[in-house]
Amino acid sequence: MNATTKCVAAVLLSLILLFVTFGGRSSAQTARGGTDIAVVIHPETPVNDLTLSEVRQVLLGERQYWNAKLPVVLLIRAPVARERDVVLRVIYQMTEAQFKQYWVAKIFRAEAASPPKIVYSNDMQYELVSGIPGAIAFMDARNVRPGLKILRVDGHLPGDKDYPLH
Amino acid sequence: MVRTLTIFGVLLLAAGVADAQSSPPTEQAEQIRLLLERVQQLERRVTELEARPAPTATVSAASEVPAAPQTPQPQAAPAGTLAHEHDVQEQPATVQQMEQHYPSLQIRGFGDVDFAATDQKGSTSGFNLGQLDLHLASALSRKVTYFGEITFNAQPTGYTVEVERNIIRYDYNDYFKLSFGRYHTPIGYWNTAFHHGAWLQTTISRPDMVRIGGTFIPVHFVGFLAEGNIPSGGAGLSYNVGVGNGRGSIISRPGDAGDDNNNRAWVANIYSRPRRFYGLQLGASVYRDKITLVGRDFREWITSAHLVWTKETPEFLAEFANVNHRAVLTDLSTNSQAFYVQLGYRLPWFERTLKPYYRFEYTHTPLSEQVFSNQDLVGSILGVRYDISNYAAFKIEYRNSKRGIADPRVNGLFLQTAFTF
Repeated sequence: MNATTKCVAAVLLSLILLFVTFGGRSSAQTARGGTDIAVVIHPETPVNDLTLSEVRQVLLGERQYWNAKLPVVLLIRAPVARERDVVLRVIYQMTEAQFKQYWVAKIFRAEAASPPKIVYSNDMQYELVSGIPGAIAFMDARNVRPGLKILRVDGHLPGDKDYPLH
Repeated sequence: MVRTLTIFGVLLLAAGVADAQSSPPTEQAEQIRLLLERVQQLERRVTELEARPAPTATVSAASEVPAAPQTPQPQAAPAGTLAHEHDVQEQPATVQQMEQHYPSLQIRGFGDVDFAATDQKGSTSGFNLGQLDLHLASALSRKVTYFGEITFNAQPTGYTVEVERNIIRYDYNDYFKLSFGRYHTPIGYWNTAFHHGAWLQTTISRPDMVRIGGTFIPVHFVGFLAEGNIPSGGAGLSYNVGVGNGRGSIISRPGDAGDDNNNRAWVANIYSRPRRFYGLQLGASVYRDKITLVGRDFREWITSAHLVWTKETPEFLAEFANVNHRAVLTDLSTNSQAFYVQLGYRLPWFERTLKPYYRFEYTHTPLSEQVFSNQDLVGSILGVRYDISNYAAFKIEYRNSKRGIADPRVNGLFLQTAFTF
């Protein structure tokens, strides 16, 4: 049986080495660039400035209330939108699969009742953020319209040299 | 064993085919991106056109947008009255659609199918159905939420149904959330991080110290729990404090239908997720109970600590627990220890679908232990997790373990496909 055990272990190790050595499809890095992504909130939300780690805390669902009466309503663009790419890359630091798994686990752990709401266009995003108290969303700074409040992140607004979301 | 290897080969081949079929083509993603960009361009154009008939309208709403130096102003900044009316007319419909309705029940299922073959004398190899796990979450109001978890477990004579968690929670704010029900006891990390969903955990099985149906720590807890964040700046502290029925007369089970003595168990757990080190979590827990077994009382103290790095490059989980039992009558005290260390790494190739892992675990119970039977274990597992899709994974593991001094070392090959739906 010892020989069989060694055989099984050898198969496992060989497989791992095979995958490591001949991993064919590398994840293509898309060219980054473009304009800043603004963090926009409902105008009556009592927040003006957050650090990047505080924004992360909100997006991870670790901060679920702006205050005792106002819950956070997370809005995130549907997959492939640039805003979503930036949010996943800079804030969540997750791949699309990891992001989905994160929220399945978060709800399963009874830490949140629902995942972020998906929005499909800037118009929809604008309507929801301006219409739902406590809503927070991410949009291309060029598309921000009147009626929304733009948050400073680490003390910077979109367009500033050290603004982190781009 | 040759048959086992054949099955392994067939499953691996099937997984490869599944991957080939499920991988989204890069070209398609690029096309979607281009279409989305086009939609945005059209949206901007529509906004411009809608704004044209009333170019002299006021821009009062723009005052809510703080000045953004060097930021190109949005095309809609001189929002015309017509455009504004249009938005107002459309807004309720969209907002109404996205508004939360109560109750809003969401159901998610988890399942797994396993194969096991070991060289343990008397054991047989074969397939078995893992747990079919249904998870329910329903917001009852803005601040009240229900969570439930029900499992269906295959048994030789049929299936058993178990209510694993049954919780109603009131959120006052982020710092205070109060709930009542049946929980996974917040001792350590694993027990409250992965629950019964095999798909969520990297490995096929839970560490022995938190095994479902095990006795080393009380896996379940019935009572109430207060939890929340602690204002602590960058330290990112959170807590759980609970009081409830402790272990039942069957020591692996909680007192679902009532405690078996007049002493309530309590648990306190504190953990930190430092903001500076995103992905790091460290924490400590204490659990206190009085156990009554065949008329004899024992005081139980469990202390636990954990350190985890939840990112997958690498993933690192380490947890330690000490269980102290003191007989009330004789004052005889025993200490049992258990720990595990698990390391995984999400490889950058194959669209990050592969994650090899290793876990070492150790449990020691002294011969004088009076509450539970000997649980000594020294074991290692080595395996690979392959994510077939975003919601299904295939895992293969080699395990090597040894229980007591007189027991033989056991080798085994384990396969699992785990999924959520």
